Order: sequence, then C-alpha cells, then structure tokens
Amino acid sequence: MPELLNFDVAIIGGGIAGVSVARELSQYNVNVVIERHGDIGLESTSTNHNLVCQGGDALSFRPGTLHAELNVKSIPLWPRLADELGFPLKRVGGLWLIRDKADFRRYLRLYSRAFKSSLEPNAPYYIPEGSFQPLEFVDRKRLLDMEPYVTPNALGALYDPNLCITDPVKVAKALAENAKANGVEFLLNQEVTRIERQGITYSIYTRQGLVIKSTFVVNASGIEVDRIAEMVNARNFSIVPLKGTLTDFDEEVGRLISHEVHVLPRMEDMPHVRAVLPNIYGLARSGIYLELTYRSDRVIREEAINHNIKVAKELFPEIPFEKHIVKSFVGFMAYTNADTGWHDFVVDIPDYVPNWVNIVLGPAGVSASPMLGKKVVELLMQSGLKLEPKKGFDPRARKGVSS
Amino acid sequence: MRAPMHLTLDIARKMIDAMIRYAQDNRVMPGSFAVVDEGGHVIAAERRDDGLPATFDIAIDKAWTAATMKTSARVLEVITRGQGWRLNVKYNGRLTIIPGSVPVVSGNRVIGGIGHSGGSAEEDEAIAQAGLSAFYREDHIDFTGEDMLRSLRKVADAVINHVTGNKLRPVAITIVDEWGWPVLIYRMDGAPYGYIEVSRDKAWTAAAFKIPTDSVADKVGVNYGVGWNERLVTTAGGIPFNLRARYSQ
Ligand SMILES: Cc1cc2nc3c(=O)[nH]c(=O)nc-3n(C[C@H](O)[C@H](O)[C@H](O)COP(=O)(O)OP(=O)(O)OC[C@H]3O[C@@H](n4cnc5c(N)ncnc54)[C@H](O)[C@@H]3O)c2cc1C
Repeated sequence: MPELLNFDVAIIGGGIAGVSVARELSQYNVNVVIERHGDIGLESTSTNHNLVCQGGDALSFRPGTLHAELNVKSIPLWPRLADELGFPLKRVGGLWLIRDKADFRRYLRLYSRAFKSSLEPNAPYYIPEGSFQPLEFVDRKRLLDMEPYVTPNALGALYDPNLCITDPVKVAKALAENAKANGVEFLLNQEVTRIERQGITYSIYTRQGLVIKSTFVVNASGIEVDRIAEMVNARNFSIVPLKGTLTDFDEEVGRLISHEVHVLPRMEDMPHVRAVLPNIYGLARSGIYLELTYRSDRVIREEAINHNIKVAKELFPEIPFEKHIVKSFVGFMAYTNADTGWHDFVVDIPDYVPNWVNIVLGPAGVSASPMLGKKVVELLMQSGLKLEPKKGFDPRARKGVSS
Repeated sequence: MRAPMHLTLDIARKMIDAMIRYAQDNRVMPGSFAVVDEGGHVIAAERRDDGLPATFDIAIDKAWTAATMKTSARVLEVITRGQGWRLNVKYNGRLTIIPGSVPVVSGNRVIGGIGHSGGSAEEDEAIAQAGLSAFYREDHIDFTGEDMLRSLRKVADAVINHVTGNKLRPVAITIVDEWGWPVLIYRMDGAPYGYIEVSRDKAWTAAAFKIPTDSVADKVGVNYGVGWNERLVTTAGGIPFNLRARYSQ
C-alpha cells in the first residue's frame, strides 16, 4: 500500500517559483513542495545570469505584460527579502552601451517607456519613490569612470541603477528553509509521474511510490510545466525549450568588471544575448548563446563557448578572457510565443480545470519571484482557498530542507 | 539529441496530434490543422470529426502564409496595422493574415509553417503554437476520440505501408468526405509537391461520381475537367469507399 498524504496545497517543483509560493503560503496553510531532486533549485534556478531587480528597462520588459508587471513590482521587495533571509544581494547596476545614433534612438524610446511603466503615479505598475532609481544616460567619460575596461567604441550608455546580482540557489534555499520552519513539508527525491483529478481533489503519484492528496495544485515544474499540466488536461499554454549557454571566467577577470554591461541585439546578433557581468563570488559571466532545441539536449557546444568569448571581448577588448575560462554550462527557459518573440509569463488557472495554477516563467523568472508568490496566493484565494493567518509566522526562522 | 532541422511526415503528424489534444483540452470547436514545408506545400493536413469543411483550406492557407512570409500572422497583423486583409487579393486570396498561422523555426531558419482554422483568432493561434511546441518535444502527445479521423488514418497508413513495403515511389494521399471536401492529406517524405493537388483531384472525382477515376470517361462520358470543374481527373488512382469518405493516391 502506498503511503497517503493530505494537504491543502501541493506545489510541484522546488525551483525559485515553487519555493516562493511555498514561503508566501507558509503564513497561512498546510502545504507541501514535491521535488524530484534531492535538493532545492537544482534546475533553471541554478543555471542563469544571477540578475535580479530587472524590469527597469522597458525593451525586454514591454509594459502590459505579466513579465514586466511582476518584475517591476518585485524590485522594491528584494532588499527586504534579503534582509529577512540573509542571502547576498549586491546592487551592480546595468549599462546598455550606445554604439551609434541608431542605438541612441532606440534607447531614447526605451527610456521614456521605462518612465511610463513605473515612475508616474498613474503608470500601470507604479512603485513608490525611493524604491526605484530612474534610468539615466551617461556620457563616455562617465562610462569609462564606471567601467574602465569597457570598449572605447562606446559613445555612452543608458544606466539602470536598480539591477542587482545574487545567488538564486541561496535565495531558493533560504525561502525553502523559512517555509519549512513555518510548517511547509518538503518531499524531496519524489518525481511526479501521474496525477488524477476527482472533482476538486487531486491525487499526485510519484515514481518513488507516494500518493499525495491535495485540494489545490500549483504546477511550478519549470521546463516540465507542459508535461505536468497535460496529466490533468490543464495545458492552456505552449512553450518551447530555449536553451542558454553561459561561460564563467575567473576572479582575475571578474574584478575588472563591476556592472552588468550589454548591447542591444541587432539583426545579425539574433537571437543571442550579448552581456557580461560579475557574479556574487567575484567571477565574470558572459552569454547567452541561445538555441531552440529538445529539453534533453544539454550538450555544451563549441560554437556557444566561442560566441560567449567573442561577446566578452567585444565589450571589453583589453581583457584576455580566453585565458581565464572557468566553465561553461547550459540552462533551459520555458519560452512562450516563440513564433512572435513576444514572450510572457503564464500564471493562471485554466478555464476548465479548477484549483490548478500553472506557472511558466522563462526569462527573468528569478527576478520576478517575490511578486510571483503574492500573485499565486491571490489566485488561490480567488478560487476558494481559505487563508487563515498562522499565529507565530516567523519571516526569519530557518529549518534545514535537503535530505 | 538536437531538435530536427527538417520536417517529415512523421513529425508533422506528431505536431497535429498535439494540436488536436490541445484543442480538445481547451474545448475549441473542431477545425482543421495543416503543416507545410518551407515552400508552403502540404506535408500533412487533417480535419477533426465534425470540423467545418471550409476550415481545411483555410488552415492550409494559413500555414502557407507563415512559411512563405516566414512570420507569424500575429506579427503580420501588427506590421500591416490591421490592414493586412487588403493584401488578400494577392495570390488568389491565399495570403491569410489572420492569427492561427505560425512558422516552424529550427536552427535559426524557417523550415515550414503551421495553420489552424476553426476557433477564434486567439484559439487558432494558441493551437498553432501547440504544434510548434510539439516540434520541440521528443515524446508523443496523444488525444482521445476522433473515431472517424482515426479510421481514415488507418486507411492512409495502409497505403503508406503498401508503398514502403513494395518499395514504390512515395505518394501523396488525400481522403475526402462524401461531398468531396478533404479530411486528410499526407505527403510521404520524398513525394514531389505536385502530387498533392493531383491526389486531391482524384479523391474529389471518385467521391463526386462514386466510381474509380479511371472509369469516369467510360461511365460518365466526360474526360475533361478544366472549363467546368478544375478538380475532375479521369486517370487511375482515385477510388470511392464507404465509411462516409473516399480516398485516392
Ligand atoms: C541562461 C539563462 C539565464 C538566465 N538569466 C536570468 C537572470 O539573470 N535573472 C532571472 O531572473 N532569471 C534568469 N533566467 C531565468 C530563470 O533561471 C528562470 O526563470 C527560473 O529559474 C525558473 O524557475 P522555476 O522555478 O520556474 O524553474 P526551475 O528552477 O527549473 O524549477 C522547476 C523544478 O521542478 C522540478 N520538477 C520538474 N518536473 C518535476 C516532476 N515531475 N516531479 C517533481 N519535480 C519536478 C525540477 O526538478 C526543478 O527543480 C535565466 C535562464 C537561463 C536559462
């Protein structure tokens, strides 16, 4: 007889999405996180640029999308979260290099849109003064002061002072440990293989033999989100796996770079991202070489590494990156609207499947996670989950999660 | 393994299966699905049970538009500022700037197109995107029901098995309903695209006269099509059958 467990809310996936929801819910209900690996945040959450507080620029964050909304609204939440949970958060700021007039014109548009989307009181995602620094243009002289090794071809840059770096795995673990201290269960090494729905209760079966019964399910399974949704006919979105390769360089290089520096992609650069940034441990990171492919295709390709080195050298021509490579690695993003390129998050309840929330993040999902947790709790409440605040919720308490 | 760089009949059928499943899960009215190659020529097209006959060619035209414009209709709609329908007079009305038309991109190249017709614009687009998503899935997504379509697929599979088993030249297969409207078109890998329309003509002729196409000249007494009906063909290859459908190869 398999073991039977009962919960209000079962969260499938212990990535940043799953644990953000778990932590938010730990203020109220009995819930559980089911994760196939033996630890938290081992998939996309561990293989990314480590940027948070994104959303200041309105090119990659088109106003009107959930992608922009959750990111912009998360900016003021990050410092408090870092303080409560004690994970590293460092404000580095982002520089969009201006190479020519065409770049400048594009940035001007971007700049005014950034204001429209957040700073004016009647803007769609107004965030209070003080928690968001306005973007500004810096000239070449100031740019070189800020980033001495940057390419002298740059005429200047658009500067987003809000951008921070962190260690997303540490964030995810801290959220998980805090959730656990506040009563959330973690079932690690449990891979969901089948789900049955009886009216409004779900039975979740794992390969390892558990049966978890739950009234609500949050599908936060990252790149597997479509497969999990299909188990109960709850797929109301489509994704393609977007594979990204990143390359890390050692501290010698890392200490020469202090901002996230990138250039706008042009037609010939498509679809890759051209950015270099420091990470929280003093390394430098370059990428992203992007490919649409099968999600099982985890091969690190030579052309991807070469691309990442080329990008780094283009932005910092004086630095001999090729001699300082530490490693390259791949990660996957669930990309929606691949046909148009207008990616957006999916955070919703399908029309025909009750008590079920799908979460598709993709690019900038870590950045958006503080607001994501709140959004999902709101959705669950709307669909009938009774939230009774737990006495003694402690936003700082910690309890070990990994097995 | 890397995702494929070309479309094949098997991949196209897998994409359609996933689209049917998506349409069912999201309760979209039955319609038609098409997957075309980079030249816009059909590889596979199918109509769900009770799908409106007219949706079949709309789905194909949408897929053709995505493949030959190398863009999603959603983008064309935006860049033509909603005036895209005016272009519809081109190409005998084939250009279809209505959502539900998505290019298949692999290795930074457009290798084909996907079209769906039968739902709202949003639904059509979501279904075509489900087709693209299936292209990037190694597993197969199945659907339930669609008994008629499933039986017709068996007929088409019998033809394909016959051709491959006997090492014949690859063919195009069309199965039409009793009114001559297509329910299924498959083009085997390696069959030149010219055969698609020939097989459609034969299927139509067999359905319209309820006799094999090569007896039409004898029994009906006509041997020309152009002028009164472009679909009429009197060479062998189209045969009627009962299951409320006809096919030809
Ligand atoms: C190259 C690259 C760079 C990026 N850069 C940034 C950046 O700078 N800033 C940023 O904010 N975002 C960035 N992202 C995006 C970010 O990494 C993702 O949005 C985020 O990690 C997604 O989190 P998630 O929880 O949805 O997915 P995941 O972290 O993948 O978590 C999903 C979890 O579900 C589990 N799971 C899946 N299937 C099952 C199952 N059947 N049973 C049990 N458990 C299951 C998995 O094991 C996994 O732990 C980047 C992504 C990539 C690929």
